[in-house]
Amino acid sequence: MSDTQASGHHARDKAARLHRELEVVWRNPRGLRALTVVNHSTLGLRFMATGLVFFLVGGVLAMLIRTQLALPSQAFMTPEIYHQVTTMHGTVMMFLFAIPVLEGLAIYLIPKMLGTRDLLCPRLTAFGYWCYLFGGIILLSSMALEMAPDSGWFMYTPLSSGEYSPGKGSDFWLLGITFVEISALSAGVELTVSILRTRADGMALHRMPLFAWYILVMALMIVVGFPPLIFGSVLLELERAVGMPFFIVEQGGDPILWQHLFWLFGHPEVYIIFLPAAGIVSTLLPVFARRPIVGYGWAVAAVIITGFISFGLWVHHMFTVGIPHLAQAFFSAASMLVAVPTAIQVFVWLATLWLGRPRMSLPMLWILGFLVIFVCGGLTGVMLALVPFNWQVHDTHFVVAHMHYVLVGGMFFPLMAGFVYWLPLVSGRMPSERLGRWAFWLTFLGFNLTFLIMHWTGLLGMPRRVYTYDSAMGWDIYNLISSVGGFMMSAGIAMVLLDLALHWRFGRPAPPNPWEADTLEWGLSMPPAPYNFASLPTIKSRHPLWDNPALGDEMARGEHALADASHGRREILGGEVLTGRVRERIHLPTNSWWPLFAALVLAVVCISLLVRLYPLALGAFLVAVAMLLRWSWENGGHPAAAPLGDDEATSPPLHSRTRGGPARFTMCVSLMADGAFFLSLLFGWFYLWSVSPQWRLPAESPLDPILLIGAGIAFALGVLWLERRLRRLYAGDETRLSPAFYMIAALGGLHVLLLVALLWQADLAPTDNAHDAILLVSLAYLLGHGLLASLLMAMQGRRAALGYVSARLPMEPGVVALFWRYQLGIYAILAVSLGVLPRVIGGGA
Amino acid sequence: MLGLAGCSGDYSMLAPSGPAARDIAWIWWGMLGFFTLVFVVVVGLWLAAFRRREPRERSEGEVRRLSRRWIIGGGLLLPGVTILILLVFGVPVGQRMLTLPLPGGEEPQVIEVIGHQWWWEVRYPDTGDGEVITANQLVMPAGEPVDFHVSAGDVIHAFWIPRLGGKIDMLPGRVNRIRLQADEPGVFGGQCVEFCGTQHAHMKLYVEAMPPADFDTWLSARQAPTDVGEGEQHQAAREAFNEHCARCHRVAGVSQATVGPDLSDIGSRATLGAGVLAMEDGAIARWLVAHQRLKPGNLMPVHDHLDAETLEGLGSWLETLTP
Amino acid sequence: MIRRVLWLETEHPMQLVLGLTIWSLWFVTVYGGLSVVCAVAPPAPEQGALTGLNLVLGVLTLMTLGFLAWLTQRCMAAARRKRGRLRYMSALAGGLYLFSTVGVAFAGLPLLLLPPCL
Repeated sequence: MSDTQASGHHARDKAARLHRELEVVWRNPRGLRALTVVNHSTLGLRFMATGLVFFLVGGVLAMLIRTQLALPSQAFMTPEIYHQVTTMHGTVMMFLFAIPVLEGLAIYLIPKMLGTRDLLCPRLTAFGYWCYLFGGIILLSSMALEMAPDSGWFMYTPLSSGEYSPGKGSDFWLLGITFVEISALSAGVELTVSILRTRADGMALHRMPLFAWYILVMALMIVVGFPPLIFGSVLLELERAVGMPFFIVEQGGDPILWQHLFWLFGHPEVYIIFLPAAGIVSTLLPVFARRPIVGYGWAVAAVIITGFISFGLWVHHMFTVGIPHLAQAFFSAASMLVAVPTAIQVFVWLATLWLGRPRMSLPMLWILGFLVIFVCGGLTGVMLALVPFNWQVHDTHFVVAHMHYVLVGGMFFPLMAGFVYWLPLVSGRMPSERLGRWAFWLTFLGFNLTFLIMHWTGLLGMPRRVYTYDSAMGWDIYNLISSVGGFMMSAGIAMVLLDLALHWRFGRPAPPNPWEADTLEWGLSMPPAPYNFASLPTIKSRHPLWDNPALGDEMARGEHALADASHGRREILGGEVLTGRVRERIHLPTNSWWPLFAALVLAVVCISLLVRLYPLALGAFLVAVAMLLRWSWENGGHPAAAPLGDDEATSPPLHSRTRGGPARFTMCVSLMADGAFFLSLLFGWFYLWSVSPQWRLPAESPLDPILLIGAGIAFALGVLWLERRLRRLYAGDETRLSPAFYMIAALGGLHVLLLVALLWQADLAPTDNAHDAILLVSLAYLLGHGLLASLLMAMQGRRAALGYVSARLPMEPGVVALFWRYQLGIYAILAVSLGVLPRVIGGGA
Repeated sequence: MLGLAGCSGDYSMLAPSGPAARDIAWIWWGMLGFFTLVFVVVVGLWLAAFRRREPRERSEGEVRRLSRRWIIGGGLLLPGVTILILLVFGVPVGQRMLTLPLPGGEEPQVIEVIGHQWWWEVRYPDTGDGEVITANQLVMPAGEPVDFHVSAGDVIHAFWIPRLGGKIDMLPGRVNRIRLQADEPGVFGGQCVEFCGTQHAHMKLYVEAMPPADFDTWLSARQAPTDVGEGEQHQAAREAFNEHCARCHRVAGVSQATVGPDLSDIGSRATLGAGVLAMEDGAIARWLVAHQRLKPGNLMPVHDHLDAETLEGLGSWLETLTP
Repeated sequence: MIRRVLWLETEHPMQLVLGLTIWSLWFVTVYGGLSVVCAVAPPAPEQGALTGLNLVLGVLTLMTLGFLAWLTQRCMAAARRKRGRLRYMSALAGGLYLFSTVGVAFAGLPLLLLPPCL
């Protein structure tokens, strides 16, 4: 036996041992314990499979709608049922299908594309999934109980209010959707942080796959965009449940506030759906054009611009509510502006095709379908941005057609392209060309038949959400054509499902990197191992697999970084945001029951609110908080996560030995979401104050100034002390750490007590007028945050006493300090807005 | 099924009968033409990219120049110029529907419209002594601007006469204003276009534009005391009305309630139930018997406890209320 | 904040979001200011587009425009000087500032055309 052969054997053995070790650390348990899985691949697939089920439900609802409207004056459904069906169709497709499926895709792909083993917060992924599943089930159960929401999927109040929708429908919507949104927010936070901080060594921002840019912007948009709707839902549910009149004009509220909050979320949401889909196009198109994308920087700029501008468009859904024409014109201009980044992307793709050597294949066919439909939808979108034209077609079937062109064209078609493209990665088999083509053409032609003609129906004056129409209106033939097209499209989707079912049995085995792609996920085994990469690569360009087609084998042989799992930890690399250079080794938490349990208890909260068992809801909520805190206990410096060793490698160090690392980032991004919620609250206060028609500010502010200032001072002292103590800790001084933390927590407790006194003394009448109601919500928000801040600090005291926080393990208190600073900031802003300004400007305004 | 007042095209915004609607229709045709061109060119270019033969090797500089040309031309200039033109010329078109002061200081006719689940209340303010209230029909002078002051009595509705111009939401607790004008006398369709609950589909407004002189006649006829059929013939019907209907409906000179539609001139209206039935002999009685089947979920209670004779009597009396 | 922007290197990742953040702040200020003034003390509709309100908002728009244009120029100039990653980030930031500048100009255009509060 020659030397080279021997060393070859040796290397193979080593690689096999590495894979065995990694398998032990990363593998998914089976049986009942499969519920504890936190692996991103498994959860990504669960997200997508669940989304598919909800998609089919939404599709059946769509078919019911088209059946009812196929002929004039049909009595297929009663109006009550019809309105439940339309409301649920919109809700299910938007909240339970479009967003979660794309999140699932991102959760599945992002770590693979970035060259890492998992997302940064694996248990959060699991928690998000359970919230999504339970929220979706609660929402759908309303249909089985025949009490589904029926006020339209944007729940305009007063129609959705207690007075005009006395049933449980609106409650199902508000509570179920809020529950589902917890899942979106968790995904948003962890995708942001993972993309910024866990990329492969050397993957600088400008070498990141374009898909990651799209997902990064989408995730940040979720973080900022979802809280306004959560806030609005909380207010509306409070109004329905206990009668706090946020949206009732006679008591100083304003129904338009709901519309603002809803569309502040609702418009960005359209782009939250579109951006990942466009990311799929930007990933696939260069592969099939056989050249790198042209104008990478242009595309990145376009994505960032879209992310921002989309928050300046919300009023274009409200052009007819009577806002000043000039204000409408601002939003009209902003809405038109968004055409520019979109056009940039379309022409980036076109230039790539033009300068490459494009080949036609099934994924490309779906992308062409996307292009035709989406360009059409984009152009009608520019039309709708024009205020006078919008006044005519708003709320007609023209808008229904436009919206489906944008959403189905802009999301579903790219999703199908991505589905066909990444299917071999998941299954190891190739999709069927022939069946796939049939499915495409049926879907494409059916779609256009349904919705192209619907523009015309709208121009002839057919409003949206009418459950029937009279033959004399002259809309018969167009509606019949739309219905025929709708059924054709569902036949196409049935073909896709058939293809999928046959695929697992009859699909041709896929060769490695079957599409000759450039991104890292194609360097993995098919299907990928739970740890993705046996060793983590170093990246030098945007196209690692085009530069080095053997990279996949090298990584599998363990020739790159972190090729060791003998310590038994799930480890990935953390890098610098800008350059991607390695900064630390991150140890990830493993499989756990806590995410499932916490979500289950939250489901109990949700259901007990639905049936109005408030004591049970409160009890369950406290249990949920306790569980979340218990879950957090074994992280960070806890020995169960990564026990301190004497001979630890320090370059790169484990992240719990640093001053914050990715945990700081995660806290910052979470606080962004919290801040968006806070800004919505502030907006609500100032909006009602300045615009609500019958708002009354009391002559004397009910907030006692001394208590208000006292509570602020107590907390400010806590923050100052904490900052000083932290500086000493970072300098290596860990003496009397635990007592100091306890004392700081006590200052937080004093802050909370003074707030309670403030609330007590204010003697608010929150069910009587909107002023007191929003004041109460603001104070409750501060109180909740103050309590949490104190609790976390007290836990730090305990952890310091147990040695989980020390000079060698300085990570955690710095993260808690961020939360303290945040609370101090919002306290100051609210104290000025609620306490000082009304005194300065005066009551009666 | 039901004989509606409307006929094909009554609700079409592409058959404009007023200046605002006409401008918007022109904008539509213009945008349609130009955007169709853009669409064909963009999709054509994409398809052409697939049809080309193997391109020759290009230098890096050449690629950069070509791609810049594509992206700057198609991604910046094309949408940039388009939206600039649209904004500068399109947005001011909306001015026509704003209630700006009229040149010459004239005061336009004001009509108040209030949306209810699922009917329209129409009021003519400043009409001297008698208050003019009607329901589900809107009579307006043709050939001059009319200001509509709209609001809502319960949930949000929207006021829309497609052939005259754009729509405006009707909000509880607020008054929105829109100015519309009909070129010629005629009949147009109006409808609620903000989802307002179960019978949103059956919330139609019968709009009639009259020559201004006829309009004045119409209005003053309604200000004069109505003949409420004092004779023996309708004695029983009036009593039944007082007992069973007067708590919700107003008939000028008989009852004052405004919970349901005003019936003072119901006999002269074209439709019943906000567009559900055409008004003809016996239509009101039919409505009284079958309204929950004709318009399921509407807020008028059923009157099954009344015998057919009473309902018929009520119907024929109400049909005589034609000022 | 202004000092921070001035001292920040042109390749700093914050540069990618600052321009559009300024655009957003300007947008919110103009829309919010307009709404509040219209709710509290609307100018008479006879005045057309030439009201004090339009003027104040117009001046604010011009100032924002000038600031963004200067930032654009700064990043573009840096992009010409620098190489590699630094050049890439500076150019990207410059492009985003440019878009924000144009965005302010474009969305501010109606201030010239329309009366404020109808």
